[in-house]
Amino acid sequence: MPTELARRGVLDHRRALIGWCLGIAGYTLLTSSIFPSFKGSPDLTQLVERYPDALKALFGISGGGISTGAGYTDAELFSLMLPLIVLVLAIGSGARAFAGEEDAGRLELLLAYPLRRRDAVLAKGAAIAVEVVVVCLAGFLALALWSAVFGLDLSIGRLAAAMGSLAALGLLYGWLALGLGAAVPSKVLALGVPAAFAAAAYLVGGLYTLADWLKPFRFLSPFWLVGQSPLQNGVDGWGVLVVLAAAVVALGAGSLLVERRDLETP
Amino acid sequence: MTTPAVETLGLSKTYQGQTQALVGLDLRVERGEVFGFLGPNGAGKSTTIRLLLDLIHATSGSALVLGLDSRRQGVEARRHMGYLPGDLRLNDRMTAGEQLDSLERLRGRADDRLRAELCERFDLELDRPIRHLSKGNRQKVGLVQAFMHRPELAVLDEPSSGLDPLLQNQVRELLRETAADGRTVFLSSHSLDEVQHAADRVGIIRSGRLVDVDAVEHLRERALRHVTIVFAEPVDGKRFEGLDGVRVDAIEDSVVRLSAPEPAMDAIVKEAAAHRIVDLVSQPADLEEIFLELYEEPSGAD
Repeated sequence: MPTELARRGVLDHRRALIGWCLGIAGYTLLTSSIFPSFKGSPDLTQLVERYPDALKALFGISGGGISTGAGYTDAELFSLMLPLIVLVLAIGSGARAFAGEEDAGRLELLLAYPLRRRDAVLAKGAAIAVEVVVVCLAGFLALALWSAVFGLDLSIGRLAAAMGSLAALGLLYGWLALGLGAAVPSKVLALGVPAAFAAAAYLVGGLYTLADWLKPFRFLSPFWLVGQSPLQNGVDGWGVLVVLAAAVVALGAGSLLVERRDLETP
Repeated sequence: MTTPAVETLGLSKTYQGQTQALVGLDLRVERGEVFGFLGPNGAGKSTTIRLLLDLIHATSGSALVLGLDSRRQGVEARRHMGYLPGDLRLNDRMTAGEQLDSLERLRGRADDRLRAELCERFDLELDRPIRHLSKGNRQKVGLVQAFMHRPELAVLDEPSSGLDPLLQNQVRELLRETAADGRTVFLSSHSLDEVQHAADRVGIIRSGRLVDVDAVEHLRERALRHVTIVFAEPVDGKRFEGLDGVRVDAIEDSVVRLSAPEPAMDAIVKEAAAHRIVDLVSQPADLEEIFLELYEEPSGAD
């Protein structure tokens, strides 16, 4: 039964997944623990706030600056590091799940078993979803804890929404990588295309305020769609839905296209 | 149960931008036989097998497996099939036992007694990680998974690669039992020796075309063997030339090298016995040579 592929997908990466969770907990701990010294030194805060707009836009420094817990966490974690961690995990898993396994010759036997290829793709998609959600959940729990410990004073509701929007982004790029690998037998494409898309979307979402010609393209950036500086501004629920819909389309397209092609031998 | 195990009609496969890998294959494999699919590397054996399993799609033609269309009813067909890939890749981090458990769950059907029996028969170490297993032991895992659900049709791509002669014998035994049970084995190989010991009938494929289907014993009768006779003293090799079907390849002093099909062996030995013999070696010619001899006009589009 194809559910075995979902089960295997998670179990085979369980060690790596624990590593990712510990990593995200450790990184947020490090960042959060510095906040009290930021708070206590207005000079430093002012210095950062005097950065040129371009730098501020790129680093996600907005609104209340970095003197509040929410502003600090938005700038230090949600502007780059957390999305990066989640996306690296998701794209890596997505590309490995089908294209990588096919490359290694391990799909030859599995797909000779009585299951439809599209079900295999969907099962692997479920495994990626579990990985993404587990890591985001770990990030949420860790940050909620550090917020209490180091006086970041984050809204738990907003924190949950922010991590949820990261999970949606992870799902989109992870399923895009999986779907691409299912549609085309190339691990390079399955890794490279979503990574390039994510980098472009990130830059558009971060810089459109500075370059007018980028403005019309901001709608194409999933980062912009889910809303930026989520702890200060909240998350755009509709944007998250659009991102999730796009994720489903990517996975669905991959699961249909995989039926049409030949399985490659290594 | 009256449909053939495998029936292909004009089955063809052309890989993108390459030569034709398989050209109009018409093949019929009956239930309860061990069918050997013999051909040199790159002849189209694996292409045929992968078409039967719907791992690749035919350019034209169709294949019925156990009466089911390999493309449209592929899942149902594969329910009754077992497959050993020619280049078996397993999940290296699992133990052999975990790998078999996982494959059982993937199939959704298990026969624990049969599986235990097969593992015991092949003396498989179940609790060692697969990455620590030798090529032969991995191949055993592949064989067990191919047979552990009592498949109606077992498709084996070069099953003996990496196995020692003792195990090769065990595999042959398993194939014979499967056929005796009314089930079917489709066995691909590039070794005539392997096929002739295991199979009832043999299909010979070359450059993507089926050149012949014959009973194994007929093929063996026609297949050349190389005979080297070392005499105690120089002899007149010419005396062997008169024998039916025998060709003298070389005469070096007291050593005579001949090529001859099996039925000529008796005459050769009787002729040689007139002299004192030091040594006599007879071995099968390799497949390419046999092909050249039997099917001199290669019909493939090389």
